[in-house]
Amino acid sequence: MEPPRDDQLIADLRALRPAPRPEFAAELDERAAAGFPRRSRLPRFSFERLRAIPRRRLLLPAGGVALAVVAIGTVVALSGGSEQNNGGPLSLSSPKTPSAQRPPQEIKPFSKESPEVQYEAVVPVAPSAGAASKDSAEALNGDFNASFRPRKIERSAEVVLGAEPQGVAGDAAKVFEAVHTNDGIVMHSSTRQGKAGEAGASFDLLIPSAKLPDALAAFSAIDEVRSRHEATADITAPTVSTAELLRESRARIDSLLGQLGEAETESEREAVEAELRHERHHASRLAAQLDHLHRRADLSRVSLRIVTGDSNESSGGGAWGIDDAFHDAGHILAVAAAVTVVGLAILGPIALIALLAWLTHRAWVRRERRRALG
Amino acid sequence: MSETLVAAAEEAPRAADLAFDRLYRSSRDDIYAYVAGLLRDGPAAEEVTAAAFERAYRKRHRFDPERGEPRAWLFGIARNAALDELRRRDRQAELTAEPVDLHSFGAEAVAEHSERRLAVSTALERLAPRERELIALKFFAGLSNAEIARVLGVSESNAGTKLHRAMTKLREACDGTA
Repeated sequence: MEPPRDDQLIADLRALRPAPRPEFAAELDERAAAGFPRRSRLPRFSFERLRAIPRRRLLLPAGGVALAVVAIGTVVALSGGSEQNNGGPLSLSSPKTPSAQRPPQEIKPFSKESPEVQYEAVVPVAPSAGAASKDSAEALNGDFNASFRPRKIERSAEVVLGAEPQGVAGDAAKVFEAVHTNDGIVMHSSTRQGKAGEAGASFDLLIPSAKLPDALAAFSAIDEVRSRHEATADITAPTVSTAELLRESRARIDSLLGQLGEAETESEREAVEAELRHERHHASRLAAQLDHLHRRADLSRVSLRIVTGDSNESSGGGAWGIDDAFHDAGHILAVAAAVTVVGLAILGPIALIALLAWLTHRAWVRRERRRALG
Repeated sequence: MSETLVAAAEEAPRAADLAFDRLYRSSRDDIYAYVAGLLRDGPAAEEVTAAAFERAYRKRHRFDPERGEPRAWLFGIARNAALDELRRRDRQAELTAEPVDLHSFGAEAVAEHSERRLAVSTALERLAPRERELIALKFFAGLSNAEIARVLGVSESNAGTKLHRAMTKLREACDGTA
């Protein structure tokens, strides 16, 4: 056979042009009419396809996945470990207080009247302010699991009431009545008469912590509440450590008393007595300290002010105005900016890595396609 | 082909679909012929052709008329799909060494034609994929040298040179067969 001429070769090539099967063409036409519905991609991820990939090509992604799993596991483990750290002020929403160590707290809406304080923690505390420190120390000496030990919470509150100048005296009387009703103590009070803005009253109060919610509700009912703030601090750790020190000190005193009985010489007796005096002084100081801690937990400090005049003049309370709107808008923008910065700080590197990975993959695919042509 | 997909897409989504439909109808057989000529495997060519049109349909709104004609764009997508299929074949060949189904390609055409055409078909088999691709683009898909240049991303003169070399090799292969 003779080699083909150019025109023959071209004619032969055109004659050899592959044509699609009619069935395939019809099927493709149908799919085109339907807008090329996406076919199932499941076969792409089938096990057989996975097996077809050489193992050396699986090493890199598998290593990446393993590294990511290790990194996530480490982060989770570290964050879980940090949650074991307890102490410091009690935060109602703080994840730092493990639920196992919390007392049976009840979170409930405090008062619908309050414009700022919405929730409180009801914490079991000693029923009276005069609980003897010795009793408490003995209770703490008991051999019970620390996980179930009632926590000592110090609480304080600030309330600002708005009143008319002529109503200050009446409101002050109601404050005294509410304090009396709730077994509280008025540490300090002052009342000023005068025109709007000058007239007012202030009170420093001690309210039994168990009755603080009732007392605050009673104060809020006296007049217009312009602001109310509450704060809590967990003082369990210093209370427990002081109680333990007191127990050790008392054991030391008992031991010294025993030594005193067995002392044979005058100088020996004097030395033990001196040490005994010092230890008793130390125990006394610890008992006072423990008593003070108990008082802090049992009695809540309340600062109450009655102000007159425009509500804008009181600190942070009163009607919401244009200044507040600007302030709130600025605050919201600052928070939004902070969230954005944090988000970018997290997403930026991830996006950069993803971009680099995508570019690398793209370059690799191009190279492989060139290689596929031989 | 003078119309562009994007110009139509800006007018109305429906118009874009119609433009793509026209592109599909004018290119369906050419795309299949090119892919089949490159892969030399009928079932694989059908699969790749369908995948190429599916990809093109999904990307039809991203087509940039400043970067070329719609037909060249469509052939570029089909080319990538076909090369991916070749890569996949290479990977499978590493593991299974499964022979490619050569007999299914053009069997009917070859059976009906002369011995010379059988020799040309056999010579095509012997060409490297890169050269077979050029011949497929030119004589199976019917692209001009300028269109081939746009699909391959080379200059028109370079495309012409490459095509000439591929034809020379095909002729030599035919001589060898003869």
